[in-house]
Amino acid sequence: MFSKGLMQRQALRTLHQTGKKSLTIPFLSTLPQNPGGVKGDVNEAYQPPSPSRIHGSLHWDFQRVTSVALLPLVGSSLAAGGDVSVVADSVLATVLLGHIYVGYQSCIVDYIPARVYGKNHNYAMYLLTLGSLFALGGIYKLETEEDGLTGVVKKLWTAKSATEEKQ
Amino acid sequence: MSMSGLLRTSFTRTALRRGLATEAGQVAPRLKTFKIYRWSPDKPTEKPRLQEFQVDLNKCGPMVLDALLKIKDEQDGTLTLRRSCREGICGSCAMNIGGRNTLACLCKIDPDTSKESKIYPLPHMYVIKDLVPDLTQFYKQYKSVQPYLQRSSVPEDGKEILQSVEDRKKLDGLYECILCACCSTSCPSYWWNQEQYLGPAVLMQAYRWLIDSRDQASKMRKEMLQNSMSLYRCHTIMNCTKTCPKGLNPGFAIQEIKKSMALE
Repeated sequence: MFSKGLMQRQALRTLHQTGKKSLTIPFLSTLPQNPGGVKGDVNEAYQPPSPSRIHGSLHWDFQRVTSVALLPLVGSSLAAGGDVSVVADSVLATVLLGHIYVGYQSCIVDYIPARVYGKNHNYAMYLLTLGSLFALGGIYKLETEEDGLTGVVKKLWTAKSATEEKQ
Repeated sequence: MSMSGLLRTSFTRTALRRGLATEAGQVAPRLKTFKIYRWSPDKPTEKPRLQEFQVDLNKCGPMVLDALLKIKDEQDGTLTLRRSCREGICGSCAMNIGGRNTLACLCKIDPDTSKESKIYPLPHMYVIKDLVPDLTQFYKQYKSVQPYLQRSSVPEDGKEILQSVEDRKKLDGLYECILCACCSTSCPSYWWNQEQYLGPAVLMQAYRWLIDSRDQASKMRKEMLQNSMSLYRCHTIMNCTKTCPKGLNPGFAIQEIKKSMALE
């Protein structure tokens, strides 16, 4: 069909864009991209990814819930001057880890999207999950063998004052 | 010849001599420098550059579009830009003027002639020529939200689909959008992921159809946004609301969509 052929030719027109190098992470392999980011005929509507609540609204909910929950948790720990129960401290550390985990997931979706980086996107996600699991183990160790997360923060404070006293 | 006829002749003569406009008189020219982004697809290997033009503000209209058209008419006919209505209704002349995405026809020229005015196409878009960006993807995205009324039932009397005054008021601040793409192209999230993230302008239109009391396709509309890319790449940066030349609030609309989808 004439009109379709015309449209397809139009999609091949020269466009100017910023050099690819300045927009991608240098050491990660990338997939080839369509000119102008346009897939298919210019008259076809954009196709959204398939629906997934876990990556959509639930992910967003989890971000909001953890950030709201952190307000009283951090606030009470600060108000108590670090003298909080092991349970309260464990909850604080776990919620904080969860918040950071979904936050970094968002960063990876933003900056290492599967559309551009292909498998590297998944590798980044695996690395994040692995690191978070290590952190979870670390939290367990902190809570059972040491003074917990607030204890660590408290130690940082006292360490600082100790060096000040030396001076 | 009657008195009125005499008056009319003298008036006609004056009008012919000096035109209907009042002459500005002999004043020193106020030369303003415009630096305009140039790139031509005819010479694709040539790097884009900023070209300098000087316009006498005394002989130019008050808006940046006036200056651009004056440059195109009198200095360089190859300067390429989109424009149509010259009054902020069509959204064609969206560009980046002095670091802000706005409509050239609604943006006053800064009268300070010691400062130069820099004009770029909409940021982080593929450029077709000079100030003309490629909006193909933007329109494809707009098409994907199906911006038209969808119903499964028709009114029993077979007449109009009625809407209360309150329900109609919900559409105020949404329907005025002219799709100039100023907001979408000011959004850093749209810069990184414009192939998949719908961007503020299109999402505001998605919201406009979601809250329309006459529309019955909300479920399908929300389902389309239920993924990590289409809607949730909005990080409430609010550049969209700050830059909107029509004074609308796309950031608020996106937040309302997120709220309505939170429990789904």
